[in-house]
Amino acid sequence: MKTYILIAKKEIKIALREKLVLALSSIILVLLGISLFTGVISYQQQQKAITKAQDEKRKEWLEQGDKHPHIAAHFGTFIFKPKTVLSLFDFGLDTYTGTSVYLEAHYQHQFMFRPAQDHNSMIRFGELSSALVLQILMPLLIIFLAYASFTKEKERGTLRLLNSQGVTLTSIAWGKIMAYFIILLTILTPFILGILLLSYWLKTPDTITDLRMRIGLLGTTYMAYIFLFVVLSVLVSIKSSVSRNALLTLLTCWILFTIIIPKTMANFGEGLYPLPSMKIYKEGILKDKENGLDGKTPKAVRIAKLEKELLKKYKVDSVQQLPFNFEGVSMQAGEEYGDKVYDVHWGRLLNIFNKQNKLGSYVSLFNPYMALRNISMGLSATDLSASVDFQKKVENYRRIFIKKMNNDMAQNSNYGEFYEYSVGLDMWESVEDFKYKTPSIYSTLKKYVLEFVSLFSWIILLILLLNYITRKTKLNNG
Amino acid sequence: MDKITKTIIRYEWRSFVRNKFQLLLLAIIFLFGMYAIYYGASVVNVQKKTISDVQKIEEDEFYQYQISFNEELNSVDAKRKRDIASNPSYAWFRHGYHAVLPPHNYAALAIGQRDLHPYYHRLTGMSLYYQLFENEIANPVKLYVGNFDLSFVIIYLFPLLIIAFTFGLYSIEKESGVLALLRIQSISIRKIVVTRLLFYFMLITGLALLISLIGLLVLSNIFSNENFLAAVAWLAGVILYSAFWFSLMFLIISFFKSSAFNAICAAGCWLLFLLVIPAVLNVWMISKYPIDTTHLAELTRRTGLENENDEKEQTEVLSEFLEHNPKYKASDSLFNNNRYAKVYAAFTALKDSHSKKDVDAYNSQIGKRNKWVNQFLWINPAVNMQDAFTLISKTDLNTFLNYQSALTKFHKDITSFYYDRLFWDKSITQEDYSKRPVFKMKESNERWSMVLFSFLKIALILVPIGLVGFMKMKKITN
Repeated sequence: MKTYILIAKKEIKIALREKLVLALSSIILVLLGISLFTGVISYQQQQKAITKAQDEKRKEWLEQGDKHPHIAAHFGTFIFKPKTVLSLFDFGLDTYTGTSVYLEAHYQHQFMFRPAQDHNSMIRFGELSSALVLQILMPLLIIFLAYASFTKEKERGTLRLLNSQGVTLTSIAWGKIMAYFIILLTILTPFILGILLLSYWLKTPDTITDLRMRIGLLGTTYMAYIFLFVVLSVLVSIKSSVSRNALLTLLTCWILFTIIIPKTMANFGEGLYPLPSMKIYKEGILKDKENGLDGKTPKAVRIAKLEKELLKKYKVDSVQQLPFNFEGVSMQAGEEYGDKVYDVHWGRLLNIFNKQNKLGSYVSLFNPYMALRNISMGLSATDLSASVDFQKKVENYRRIFIKKMNNDMAQNSNYGEFYEYSVGLDMWESVEDFKYKTPSIYSTLKKYVLEFVSLFSWIILLILLLNYITRKTKLNNG
Repeated sequence: MDKITKTIIRYEWRSFVRNKFQLLLLAIIFLFGMYAIYYGASVVNVQKKTISDVQKIEEDEFYQYQISFNEELNSVDAKRKRDIASNPSYAWFRHGYHAVLPPHNYAALAIGQRDLHPYYHRLTGMSLYYQLFENEIANPVKLYVGNFDLSFVIIYLFPLLIIAFTFGLYSIEKESGVLALLRIQSISIRKIVVTRLLFYFMLITGLALLISLIGLLVLSNIFSNENFLAAVAWLAGVILYSAFWFSLMFLIISFFKSSAFNAICAAGCWLLFLLVIPAVLNVWMISKYPIDTTHLAELTRRTGLENENDEKEQTEVLSEFLEHNPKYKASDSLFNNNRYAKVYAAFTALKDSHSKKDVDAYNSQIGKRNKWVNQFLWINPAVNMQDAFTLISKTDLNTFLNYQSALTKFHKDITSFYYDRLFWDKSITQEDYSKRPVFKMKESNERWSMVLFSFLKIALILVPIGLVGFMKMKKITN
C-alpha cells in the first residue's frame, strides 16, 4: 500500500509540473464554468417563458366565456414542455424534440417548434453542456495525462530501475492510476461544488422525480467513466513501445468512440428501420379513422351500430327518446375510436424509434462513451423515453379533457340543440391544469440496463487485463 | 522541378508505399467516403420518394375534382363531389396544393438542415401558419448525432488524416536521428519540410477530390447548367479546406517540438475548430438571443368567430377584411349571398394578417442571432466550410427561409384564386383549373456570393498561418 501512495505522490508532483496538463485542466474547468453558466441562464429563460406561456393559456381557457362544450373542446389549449432542472447539465435531445403542442378534439396534433430549427447549420456541431465537456473533452485530458505514463519511463529506462528495487509493475500501474484519478477529481472539485451550490440556489418546479438519487447516480456513473478511461490509457501506455504510438492509439480510440461510431450507428439504424413521412403517417391515421382499423367498418357503420345498441339497451325507438344526448355519446365514441387508431399508428412509430435506438444500446457494449451518453440523458430526463413519456401524459390529459366536454354534452344538452346549450367557468375550472412529472428513476434505469452492463464490464475487464498484463510483461523485453 | 526535389519526392513515395498503416488509413477514409455518399443518397432518395408520393396525392385530388365536371349529377355523392370542385365556399379550404422544396442534385453530399426542416407542405386556403410549422417525422437521437455525409467526412475526418500523416514530418526525423544526417546536406530543412508537406497535400487532397468527384458524378451530370458551378465550387472548397489544415500543420511543425507535442497541438486545434468553438458559440448565442416560440404556438390554433350567428360580429369581421382588401369593396352588396362562408374566409385571412407580425418578429430574431454569430465565424474554417457546403447543395437555413417566404407568396395566390370567386359569387369552372396557382421559388441571388465569402474567410486565415510558419522556419533553419 505504501508503494502505491509513494508512486501516486510522485506522479501528482510530475503532472503538476507539466504545463500542458495544467493548461488543459484549466481549459476544461473554464469550459465547465461556461457550460454551467450558460446552462443556468438558458434554463431559467426557457423555464420562465414556458411557465408564463402555460399560465397564459390556462387563463385563456378559464376566461373563454360561455360556450358549447364541444366548441370549447375545439378551442382547446396548449401544453409546453417544461425543462427538467438536470437539463442544464445535459441538454440531451431537448434541442431536437418539439416544445409545444395544441390539444383539441378529434386530432392528435404533433409537437412543434424544435429549438434546433431556430439555428443555422452550426447547431449540428453541438452545444456546450457540462455533459459534453465531461463525456468528450475529459477523456482527452485523461489521454494527454496518461499516454506517456509507462512509455516515458521505458524511454528513459527508469522503469527498470524501479523494478530492480522490488516494485512490481502492477503496483506502479495502480499507483499511477490512483494519482491520475485523484488529479482529475481535484480538477472537478470546483465544478462539483458549483453544482451543489446551484441545486440549493435554484428554485425548481418539481417536474423531475428522485432528483437526489439521479444526481448521485450521475456522479457515480461519470466517476466510473473517468476511471475507465484512466485505466484504458495506462493500459495502452504499458503495451506501447513509444509515447507516440500510445498517443496515436488512444486518440484513434477516442475518435472512434465519440465521433465515428455514434454517427454511423444512428445512420445504420435509420437505414435498417426506415421511418414513414409525416404525410403518409397522417394519411394512414385518417384512412383508418374513416374506414375502420379493419378497413371494413366505416364511420357511418360504427355510429349506426352504436345507435342500434343504445336504442335496444334503453328500449326506445328513436335517439331523441334516449335519456341523454346521443350526439354527445357518439362524439365520445368517435373520439375513442380515433384514439384507438392513433395508438396503433403511434405505437408503430415508437416501435421504429425504439428499434433504431436499440442498435445504439447494443453498440454501447463496445463503446463506453455511448453507454454514458445514454445513461446521462436518461437520468437527466432529456432522452427520447422522457420525451415520449411527456407526449403520452399530454395525450392522456387531452383525452380526459375531451371526454369531460363530451360527457357534459351528453348528460346536459338536448338532441339537436347545439347553439342553445352552453356552459361556463365552472366547467372550465373542473378541467384540472396539466402538471408534469417525469417517470420514476427506476423505470429510467430499466431502459438502460445494457448501458450499465457495458460500463461495469468495461471496468472489470480493463482491471483484469491490467493485472494480467502487468504480471506477464517482462521488463527486459520492454 | 530540381533534382533534389525529385529525390525527396521519390523517397517520400517509397516510404509511403512501404508504410502499411498509412495505406490502410487512406483505404479506410476512402471507404468512409463511399459509405457517406451512399448514405447521403439514400436519405435524399427517401425524400424524393416522399415528394413524388405527395405530388401524386395532389394530382389525384385535382383529377377527381376535374372529372366531377363530366359526371351526371344524379346521386348525392356526385353532387357533393361537384360542389367541392366548383363551389368556392368549400373549395378554398378543401383543395390542397403541394409546395415542395426538391433536393438539389448534390444535397446528398451535404444534408445540412434538410433532415430538420419540412421540405413539403400541403396548403389550402386555411390559415397559413396553421399549416406552416408542422414538422417531418424524425428520430431525435438521429438528429442529435447528425448525418454521416460527405461533408462530414471532409470536414471532420480529412483533417485527422492530415494530422496523422504530417505531425511527425520533422520531429520523427529528429527523434530517429535522420535529421542530423540531413543537416549536413546542402539543402535547407525548410525546403525538405515544404516539399514533403506538398507531397502529402497532393496525395490527401487528391484523395478528397477523387471521393468528391465520385460523389458528384454518381449523383448527377456535373456538366449540366445547374450542377457545373456547384461541382466546381465543391471541389474548390475541398482544396481550400485541405490547404488550411496543411498550413496549420506547417505552423505547428515550425515550432520544432516533439512529435507528441505536434500531435497534441494539432488534435487540440481540431477539437477547437470542430467542437469547442461552435459549441461555445451555440450556447452563448442561445443565452444572449433567446428565442421564445411559445407565442407562435397560438398561430397553430384553429379559431372561429366567437358566435357564428352574431350578425354584428360578422359585419365587424367583414368590414375589417375589406379595409385590408379594398378590391372586394365593389362586391359589398353581394355580402348578402352566402354570407357565412364569406365571413369565415374573411376571418381566416384576418387571422393570418394579425399573425404575420409574430412570425416576422420570430424570423427577425433568427436573423439577428445569425448576424451576431457570423462576426465570430471568420475565425473558424470548419464552420465556414460547412456553411459553404450547405449553400452549394442548398441545404442551408437560408434556403429554407427562402422556401418559407415562397410558401407565403404561394398561399396568397391560392387564397386570391378562391376568394376572387367566392366574393364575386362565381363558381369555379373546369377551365379555371388550368389557371390555378403554381408554386414557384426564386433562386436566391446571394447564394454564390455567400459561398465566395465563406471561401474568402477560410483563405484569410489560411494565408497568415502559412506565412508565419514559413517565416519561423526560415529563422531557425538558416
